[in-house]
Amino acid sequence: MSTPESSNNQDNSTHFGFKTVDKTAKASMVADVFHSVAKQYDIMNDLMSFGVHRLWKRFTIDASGVRPGNKVLDLAGGTGDLTAKFSKLVGKDGKVILADINSSMLNVGRDKLRDKGLVQNIEYVQANAESLPFDDNTFDIITIAFGLRNVTDKDKALSSMYRVLKPGGRLLVLEFSKPEHELLNKAYDFYSFNILPKMGELVAKDGDSYQYLAESIRMHPDQETLKAMMENAGFEQTSYHNLTGGVVALHKGYKF
Amino acid sequence: MNAFANKVSDKLGEQLMLKQALALTLEKIINKALNLNINDSVELKSLNEKRVTIILDELNSPLSFSVYQQQILVTSFTEYSDCTIITSLKTLKELQKNQQLTELIKQDKLDITGDIKLAQQFANVAQNLTIDWQTELAKHIGDFATYKLTRFGKTLVDKIKFLKNQVQADSSEYIVHEQKLVITKNQLNDFNQQVNNVSEQAEQLMLRLATIEKQLNK
Ligand SMILES: C[S@@+](CC[C@H](N)C(=O)[O-])C[C@H]1O[C@@H](n2cnc3c(N)ncnc32)[C@H](O)[C@@H]1O
Repeated sequence: MSTPESSNNQDNSTHFGFKTVDKTAKASMVADVFHSVAKQYDIMNDLMSFGVHRLWKRFTIDASGVRPGNKVLDLAGGTGDLTAKFSKLVGKDGKVILADINSSMLNVGRDKLRDKGLVQNIEYVQANAESLPFDDNTFDIITIAFGLRNVTDKDKALSSMYRVLKPGGRLLVLEFSKPEHELLNKAYDFYSFNILPKMGELVAKDGDSYQYLAESIRMHPDQETLKAMMENAGFEQTSYHNLTGGVVALHKGYKF
Repeated sequence: MNAFANKVSDKLGEQLMLKQALALTLEKIINKALNLNINDSVELKSLNEKRVTIILDELNSPLSFSVYQQQILVTSFTEYSDCTIITSLKTLKELQKNQQLTELIKQDKLDITGDIKLAQQFANVAQNLTIDWQTELAKHIGDFATYKLTRFGKTLVDKIKFLKNQVQADSSEYIVHEQKLVITKNQLNDFNQQVNNVSEQAEQLMLRLATIEKQLNK
């Protein structure tokens, strides 16, 4: 097996979980995964993380410094948990754009947010993180929560985010990362590869998709690597916070 | 040494996201109370889209209250606020209905930066909420540890039961269309056995959760 990321820049192959696949194939394979989990996605999120994903997301909001009137991009926003909070915090003069590559996830998100009465300041855009369909310097804040690991060309995506961020704006990347302690790492591996896919099988009737999720978590760059990738894309004052022992990390970077 | 201990506990608090857990709990309690008091919401309306931050002596992080359409979002923002109230839990407890905050400022018990009118409106809204903090907090904090685990267990058991029934229903259907069977009877039995095993494990897990819950509630 090749090392994570190593094949990304050299040829046309990339990783789909642990498998090495053609770059163009990955996007559609990722799409299949999320089409098939969209409906059960929220339930699985609660189950998989014991509900802690709500706290990870709150931590992200707290770090965003969002204020009324801001323009926020919730990239790979899926079913819109972050969008819902941002929508309330930016108010009627602000705007939140929920962008996702996958129409099924966007639809589930739109229905959910509508049911919550959130309509006035949210827009839905189907978009690939690698080539964002927005003007330069558009957003005050960009978040991508549990999305970057699914993106085929992460460097390209980070550059694209940098481009659409306003000077003074900030990017927040919430993503599974590398647990700080070996024991936790092992326990976590066991959980991801043995329990998680079984749960996926039982609840979402889709073990393969959750096997993919587990593998993609392991292939994702660790804290320092991701920080360096953000700096490469132009972000400044980059930093990260480990949450839950580094199972998840929140990376932050500014465009000046 | 003390500084070191503080740093460690700060780091731990951050990793365990205690601030966020507190914010989540407060938000639930407050919005529940707001929903009950919906008719005297004039002051809440005038606070729409405003953010009031409270810094308490007893807590090492601020609590921010953002109002949006008669609901309150609780966060631990530090970067921006329409008005910041610096005080202590002790003073808040002493706060009387319709008391003027300026009185407390004169007594050096409270300090405000930003729009003082907002602070007063916010205090009035808070005073009008009938929240039995002790019970509510106890309820939610007790919940907090056990809630997720129990709910997790319950959902799992429910799903498995559903799956079991489904498999039984499906297998009777397979028997009707016997010729088309791709799965052999042995495979199906194996699978049923596996589902039963998982189901047993899940029930054991539920029992253990119940024990843990009991211990936590002691
Ligand atoms: C695990 S979900 C996260 C959803 C949401 N942010 C959350 O935290 O609950 C990952 C999302 O990333 C989306 N995604 C995958 N590749 C993408 C890409 N290249 N561009 C934009 N979105 C992508 C998927 O469709 C999916 O909705």
